Amino acid sequence: MTMTESPAQTRRLNTSKAMVEAIAQEMRANPEVFYLGEDVGKYGGIFSSTTGLLDEFGPERIIDTPISETAFIGLAVGAATEGMRPIAELMFVDFMGVCLDQIYNHMAKIGFESGGNVKVPMVLTAAVGGGYSDAAQHSQCLWGMFAHLPGMKVVVPSTPADAKGLMTSAIRDDSPVVYMFHKGVMGLPWMVKNPRSIDVVPEGEYVVPIGKAAIAREGADVSVVTISLSVHHALDVAEKLAEEGISVEVLDLRSLVPLDREAVLTSVAKTGRLVVVDEDYHSFGMSGEVVASVADVDPGLLRVPAQRVAVPDVPIPYARSLEYAALPRQDRIEAAVRKALG
Amino acid sequence: MTDVLFPAMSQENPSATGVLATWFAREGEQVAAGQVVAEVQMDKVDAEVVAPTSGTLHVQVEEGVEVTQGSVIATIS
Repeated sequence: MTMTESPAQTRRLNTSKAMVEAIAQEMRANPEVFYLGEDVGKYGGIFSSTTGLLDEFGPERIIDTPISETAFIGLAVGAATEGMRPIAELMFVDFMGVCLDQIYNHMAKIGFESGGNVKVPMVLTAAVGGGYSDAAQHSQCLWGMFAHLPGMKVVVPSTPADAKGLMTSAIRDDSPVVYMFHKGVMGLPWMVKNPRSIDVVPEGEYVVPIGKAAIAREGADVSVVTISLSVHHALDVAEKLAEEGISVEVLDLRSLVPLDREAVLTSVAKTGRLVVVDEDYHSFGMSGEVVASVADVDPGLLRVPAQRVAVPDVPIPYARSLEYAALPRQDRIEAAVRKALG
Repeated sequence: MTDVLFPAMSQENPSATGVLATWFAREGEQVAAGQVVAEVQMDKVDAEVVAPTSGTLHVQVEEGVEVTQGSVIATIS
């Protein structure tokens, strides 16, 4: 991390403003960067991912598109192969179903198919996550799916500073990067209040390397390995259990591709207990991959079986009580930590 | 001492009320002129509040409180 934090630095932003700040800085520095998607112009992004950018950069570089994800993501892929650095926004990741061919057959594969001769330096942004009664087609995370398909880096910031630093890295990366922002970490006034979505963000250039996890809270008894909004929930649990003398380490993966398996191993080597929290579906996803990161190398590190707290393999329910039961919220994380501790 | 006002977001209704949604800067902190210190909300529209001058922030209206536009929400000394 090229962080130059001084104690005096207290300028706070919410996550959406931090993300926008990184985009604006890169657009000022590089005329090849532009942003396109549905409602990203005048509206400023339905989750404030582009607020204010149209005013500064105009409609040639902040482009409102028709409702045709295949067309505008394909446009971005083409522009990227010709040397531009587009950022295309998939309004909800759930909409990937209508445009997946452009994403995984073209954006992700052109680099391989050309023997590395054609680069696709684009960013695909997408809003992810549930917790606000938006039901089965607007609440998914699906990062495991993008991470499973080869050819895309996948980053999922949980804090305002990481949202800025990872966006800077994503724009500058010569590979396609999928940048997934959880609606619940953006710090939007009209969403569920989340105090952890407002924090100090370094001013000026700020880079967070892709593929490096961060210890969100140090602990000694159990490792909670997670990403995105679940980091905030895990920190809530860690604070609560600290009052009982239980020391929970929270590891924020920040990137899924590349996955910082070394950071997982280091943490589990210390605690001997692993709880993976994933707001994506339970089976065939991130939670299994993190457990495999330990099992493949040294299963003896685990003193007790690993616990997985994820979305059961069902669509996200609409009813708030059922939705909360399906999501990996504080109650389920706490229960898993207690079970791991015996 | 400089007042920080809830911005005039409604032209039709001078006594329109809105909510102090978020304080980015906290009580007693140093803020710089032009820095975004808060976000307010009225009729589903958000607006940023920037510090009109540099100095120490004194919060007058807590998050979640509804006030009339133009009200003093903080002072800077």
